[in-house]
Amino acid sequence: MTGSKRSALIAGVAGAFAMLAGAADAATLDNVKQRGTLICGVSQGLPGFSTPDDKGVWTGLDVDVCKAIAAAIFNDPAKVKFVPLTAKDRFTALQSSEVDVLSRNTTWTISRDTSLGLNFAGVTYYDGQGFMVRKSLKVKSALELNGASVCTQTGTTTELNVADYFRSQKLKYEIVAFATNDETIKAYDNGRCDVFTTDASGLYAERLKLAKPDDHIVLPEIISKEPLGPAVRHNDDQWLDIVKWTTFALITAEELEITQANVDQMLKSDNPEVKRLLGTEGAYGEGLGLTKDWAYRIIKHVGNYGEVFERNVGVTTKLGIARGQNALWNKGGLQYAPPVR
Amino acid sequence: MRSLIIAAAAVFGLAATQASAATLDTIKGRNAVQCGVSTGVIGFSSPDDKGVWTGIDVDLCRGIAAAIFNDPQKVKFVPLTSKDRFTALQSGEIDILSRNTTWSLSRDTTLGMNFQAINYFDGQGFMVRKSLGVKTAKELNGASVCSQTGTTTELNLADYFRANKMKYEIVAVVTQDELIKAYEAGRCDVYTTDASGLYSTRLKLAKPDDHIILPEIISKEPLGPAVRQGDDQWFDIVTWTHYAMVTAEELGVTKANVDEMLKSENPEIKRLLGTEGAFGEALGLTKDWAYRIIKHVGNYGEVFERNVGQGSPLKIDRGINALWNKGGLQYAPPIR
Repeated sequence: MTGSKRSALIAGVAGAFAMLAGAADAATLDNVKQRGTLICGVSQGLPGFSTPDDKGVWTGLDVDVCKAIAAAIFNDPAKVKFVPLTAKDRFTALQSSEVDVLSRNTTWTISRDTSLGLNFAGVTYYDGQGFMVRKSLKVKSALELNGASVCTQTGTTTELNVADYFRSQKLKYEIVAFATNDETIKAYDNGRCDVFTTDASGLYAERLKLAKPDDHIVLPEIISKEPLGPAVRHNDDQWLDIVKWTTFALITAEELEITQANVDQMLKSDNPEVKRLLGTEGAYGEGLGLTKDWAYRIIKHVGNYGEVFERNVGVTTKLGIARGQNALWNKGGLQYAPPVR
Repeated sequence: MRSLIIAAAAVFGLAATQASAATLDTIKGRNAVQCGVSTGVIGFSSPDDKGVWTGIDVDLCRGIAAAIFNDPQKVKFVPLTSKDRFTALQSGEIDILSRNTTWSLSRDTTLGMNFQAINYFDGQGFMVRKSLGVKTAKELNGASVCSQTGTTTELNLADYFRANKMKYEIVAVVTQDELIKAYEAGRCDVYTTDASGLYSTRLKLAKPDDHIILPEIISKEPLGPAVRQGDDQWFDIVTWTHYAMVTAEELGVTKANVDEMLKSENPEIKRLLGTEGAFGEALGLTKDWAYRIIKHVGNYGEVFERNVGQGSPLKIDRGINALWNKGGLQYAPPIR
């Protein structure tokens, strides 16, 4: 064996061991348990989704998803370390195992699901492009926008979606285009157009910046798809299942009307669906590598999906977002969870 | 040095095991997808007298074969009983289980399977006589309902009527056959079971056209394809085959117009059909993967209508299986 062959073999073995180590690493649940903390990648500050207060306490819908996972594992929602990530760094942080889960207003797309080596564990917020108008226009639906002028940013998908939507609904419109988002929202506030359009969650946040937020309403139509959800690395199905079924447990609890306040009382319920969710019948959590009271812990510490939504982004918050397509599937929305059985 | 070589061999052995997990390579080597289906459920998977399989679950497997081979015929259908279906998948006898199978927590975890796409949202519904003049389940206050004793169906019924503050009367029977007979004999106003079952039961009634299925679905039976855990590439291929069909319907791309659509300037259509970008390559397929699916099998709406919808004897309404922006739950993440 020549020196170069030997070093190639050693390099090969080292590489293979690195791969093995990578595979061992794949048991994210074991790492999280050993560490005693879940590491959760979030945004650097997006009100309603993930944002720190002046004491560094994180809140938001994406934050609550991580707290729910920690509750399921440790029976303690505080056992999470939040790592703020830029849009650019977020995927590398997940791939390199710097974070266990990315819960950062991230759209599930095919390239992220494949080439980036990620798995998306459900949709925790169905976002998509919507419209805001002045209340004085007396418009209740985007279908009444025939002849309207629309402020948009030039050369964006947003502009293309507007064109597609108005064309398919056979409505006329006029584009008033600007180079930046700031210019666009100012122009709308100054009355240079009837309609402001961007992703719905953004509409609610932009509305707060207007001179008189209460004079404006967000219309119910959503015309594009930005499904936001938590992502994990490929090659760890147990961890994918834990994150996925945590979000499903939140939704199922809402559907069965189990809340943070009544969950202890619900332990006495005779409804078989409630019993299976809370673990008073069966041991479904054990299939996830957790305890049979995994979902009880989630609801007790974090609440159900409706509670999480209302607390962070709902109508009583500054954002004031209506449930819309994030309502339950049997209440006109898209939020749906497969059955716990 | 020797122990290092042994370690290397062991490690390479492990690498070989991992390689065998690459279902796509196995399928390409075999030149066919092995697709586990039912032993015969009309509209979902059933063979005709020449052994040709059709159905919504069958078309999903044909879509996958089209994406891989540009040939929807390269599928071997393996009929499986409900009892044997999971073992067949676990043992590698089939590559995919596409057999009116409900995605549930225990199947997703303990049984070692992965589900994602839901190609048919099923769930309990109601059938009544048209002569009752009822258009929605909300109008069923005071109705008598035929139901099998001791089933989940009966519990769901109780929950639904209680939640909607309506009264009802149970006409309890023991077997499925008795249930249909009791309803047909007029012993109750309402027949209830999973919606797909309501439509096939209606075909067996003396005058099917005298009965309608109400729009409400009161329980969850999400049916979709399952694959083994541990092969994310294959999981992605199966999931995105369904999503490609849903996206095609949403963009108005059909079996008939897909060639014309290759000239479209719409960026979403270009990304779907591969005239812009190469999203199929990240799946281990070609960039025209979705074009092939639509060309050979059609979009989700076409598959639905042909097998279970208005173009079929079942005549199932789209209902919760309509697109997300048409009142249903069918939704696909974006191709970009």
